[in-house]
Amino acid sequence: MGSFLDYFLGGIANGAVIALMALALVLVWRSTRVVNFAQVGQAMFTSFIALTAVNITGSWLIGLIVGIIAGGILGFIVHVLVMRPVRRADASGAIIATFGVLIALQSLAAMIWTAEPRAYPTPIEYAGLTIFGRVVPLTGYDVFVFIVMIVLVLFLTILLTKTKLGLSMRASAFNPEVARLSGVRVSRMLAIGWIIAGMVGAVAGVLIAPISSLSPNTFDIFLVFAFTAAVIGGLDSLVGAVAFGIGTGLILSLVTGYSDASNAPIVALILLALNLWFKPDGAFSHHKARSV
Amino acid sequence: MLEVENLSVSYGPVKALSDVSLTVPPGRVTAVIGANGAGKSTLMRTLAGLVKPEEGRIRMNGQDITGWGPEEVVRTGIALVPEGRSTIPDLTVLENLRLGGMWRTGAQRTASENRVFSLFPILEERKHLGADTLSGGERQQLAIGRALMCGPQTLLLDEPSLGLAPLIVTQILHLVEKMARESGLAVLLVEQNATTALRVARTGIVLNLGRIVISGPASDVAADEQLRHAYLGY
Amino acid sequence: MRDRWTDFTLRAPGSRFAGHALLAFVIWILLARLNMIIDAQMSYYLALAAMYATAMFGMTILVGLSGQVSLGNGALMAVGGYVFALTSMHWKTVPILGLPWNAVWSMVFAGLGGIIIGLIIGALGARLRGPYLAGLTLGVAVGIPSIINRYPSLLGGEQGLKLIVPYPEGGYPEQVLSEDAQFDDSALDEFLVDESAVVQAPLEEAAPAEGDLLTLEDAQQGVAQEDLLTLEDAQQGVAQEDLLTLEDAQQGVQDMPTDAPISEATPELATDPSDAFTTASDFVLQQWQASVAIAVACIVGFLALNLVRGRQGRVWQAVRDDPVAAAVIGISPSGGKISAFVVSSMFAALSGAVFAQILTLAAPSAFGLGLSLSLLVGVVLGGRLSLIGAVIGALLIVWLPEWVDSLSAELGMPRQVADNAPNLLYGLLVVAVVLVAPRGIMGGVSGLMSKMRRSSAPPSSG
Repeated sequence: MGSFLDYFLGGIANGAVIALMALALVLVWRSTRVVNFAQVGQAMFTSFIALTAVNITGSWLIGLIVGIIAGGILGFIVHVLVMRPVRRADASGAIIATFGVLIALQSLAAMIWTAEPRAYPTPIEYAGLTIFGRVVPLTGYDVFVFIVMIVLVLFLTILLTKTKLGLSMRASAFNPEVARLSGVRVSRMLAIGWIIAGMVGAVAGVLIAPISSLSPNTFDIFLVFAFTAAVIGGLDSLVGAVAFGIGTGLILSLVTGYSDASNAPIVALILLALNLWFKPDGAFSHHKARSV
Repeated sequence: MLEVENLSVSYGPVKALSDVSLTVPPGRVTAVIGANGAGKSTLMRTLAGLVKPEEGRIRMNGQDITGWGPEEVVRTGIALVPEGRSTIPDLTVLENLRLGGMWRTGAQRTASENRVFSLFPILEERKHLGADTLSGGERQQLAIGRALMCGPQTLLLDEPSLGLAPLIVTQILHLVEKMARESGLAVLLVEQNATTALRVARTGIVLNLGRIVISGPASDVAADEQLRHAYLGY
Repeated sequence: MRDRWTDFTLRAPGSRFAGHALLAFVIWILLARLNMIIDAQMSYYLALAAMYATAMFGMTILVGLSGQVSLGNGALMAVGGYVFALTSMHWKTVPILGLPWNAVWSMVFAGLGGIIIGLIIGALGARLRGPYLAGLTLGVAVGIPSIINRYPSLLGGEQGLKLIVPYPEGGYPEQVLSEDAQFDDSALDEFLVDESAVVQAPLEEAAPAEGDLLTLEDAQQGVAQEDLLTLEDAQQGVAQEDLLTLEDAQQGVQDMPTDAPISEATPELATDPSDAFTTASDFVLQQWQASVAIAVACIVGFLALNLVRGRQGRVWQAVRDDPVAAAVIGISPSGGKISAFVVSSMFAALSGAVFAQILTLAAPSAFGLGLSLSLLVGVVLGGRLSLIGAVIGALLIVWLPEWVDSLSAELGMPRQVADNAPNLLYGLLVVAVVLVAPRGIMGGVSGLMSKMRRSSAPPSSG
């Protein structure tokens, strides 16, 4: 049983990061009805910017802040230059365009920072904690990641449910016409959705980079995991994205622990396929998750 | 006051409105009636800024607002209650209301909210429930309430009777008429159900194939049997 | 576009079929002839382009006609590549039928493998709307390579399966070779020389180590070592773990100068029996690969033409444009979507089998997400709705990196920039095409043509 607990705890940080990435996907989906497959590309790119800031200043925190700002700007740029003009075109076009952005960002990153994987520093020591006299595979950094995720989720929940901005954003997502008739500047809300998603993705990137290392392609796998979590969560639901993001992380950790790490993508694929088979529109329809 | 001059709207090659001119005076209900496809909804959507006119002018209190987007039009005091499902079922009743007029000051919004709750007490009772739990009539009240939250001088009501029981329609329309009379609100009401609409309206305008065929006191329009046969089909 | 389809359906179906057959046959002959007169490097590019075109015919049907955005077709190519590799390595006779095995059977089974996988994914995907499907196929693109890595003893793990080149003893049937060769008698002679050399040669020698090649070439031509970074290096390079992506392998190929001395040298060398098997098999390998790729592309193109311009093409479009309306007139929407997946998956698998032969390798890294994305890029650039667009896309995918490479060399760009410039260009082009010309290059051309036709035609009354 000890090893079960170990594997379980080991999945928490991964789960938290998957949850954040899924959250970013959900935020974009809710605002513009587009699954932003470029999201991990944006996160990767802003993590590189953050790493550059860390190298210059020597401060992890400044890196995070720079990364968040860059994430917001990049989200805005992608929205204004690519997604806003494409929205009127066919649905396939929008999906394809996000992949175009992904390819462009990855190659641009390789141009600027090379394809070599790089280490990313952690704010606190990356070593197993000692609980009840035994060393568990849960590090202080894992706990830190989890706390950051919780804080971010709480912040987003309050922003979306308790503020005028949040109400405007939700209304713009659910019914843009009624929102406009009520005086909400919907196109601005969509842009804000992309900005916030870019920021959340940037946090996810900076948090995962020390665990996975940072290169133009290392985050690709998280796209699959995050998409799996977001879809199982219903794509519309922040709570669903977080719950299933953590769940996906834990399951993958157990799979990795009991068998082999290379099984993780297969298990994610099976989870996704099963879920889509039984619930083609995700496990949470957005009516059930109305309030968040 | 909302004034419309020579308004024409086309959807591609199809002309939906041609040369429509009208004014919506305060303190009373102006009814636009006509058969299906007469261009009633197009007129409302154009006035609210959802559809761009091809020709003509729309003025609000003397200001030219032709071609403005809906989020700007609503700020000049024109609020549209669109046809059909115009509440957002994913939000609560209170959220649906508070969505309206978010640019206004806190005091104005509180005043409007209180007024809406006094007009439609059922909404206050259910304010924390999801809008999807409301009945059809309650939803229509909520939609009107949301529009009133924008603090309009001119209220555009598009087919409020759609899918509602006749008794509820009568109730809602009488409430609207009372509101117009007591607070000086200008109401432009579009209806397919001409009898009920003309009963509460002071002025009646008949639209046919995108043109105004007659405009005059509601009682005259209601009494004109020939007109009814020709354009309203009953 | 639609007009053209109706035009075709007005004709007798038989004549349409014959017309397509003739078209495919003529193209096949022309390309096979071309393959005989160009140098080895160009043959390699021709092989790649034909291979990409094969897969992109499937993408045109899936993404363009049936409106299902798939990122999994690169992984479906892996299915074909591995079925081909496994069957050609392990089978002496064809199971059940008991016939002696030859490589054509491996192609057939690769196609069958594609059909089966296509059925499974299509059945899952038919119920899904756009982004869900894209995500599922993305999962497939990532999942299938890791499934391959799961079974290293059977599938060779990261290193992949090394295909035996040309083919195992008793392997490749002579008639397949001679079909290509009969266009050119001298080529036939060369084929025969090569084949005898290859049959004698043990495997290791048929695919010589780098060192051997260098010394041999050095002695003969006295060329610089850099110039000898030839195809085989690139191909063998894929087997190495550090070369993780297909792009890397291709880039390795691009390092070869266009006027490579090796290709000039080969015809003479082929007549010299003492070292024929190394250099001559070099020479023949690329052309042989190209002739296989061309044959498969022409057959698949012929099938695609008939499907697209026949009833099935209209079924796919109907389901894409309005599934409900399609159901009302008796077309099963899920049937339409699944059939598009099956067809596209079969094409992808055939293309993958060809790709494995071009690389002489079936390795997970060759069939990664990058390959799936480049298929999507190609089909979007060429034009999502037309088979000619698929061909243009295939040519672009092969030619564009080459062009960017020479351009960046001219501009003196640093390596790091030059290596990634093609992909950056792909990404930007995809976005630009989606924004500006959603129907791609072919859509733009046909739009222009119909505009010209309209303006030149006398105005119709009414």
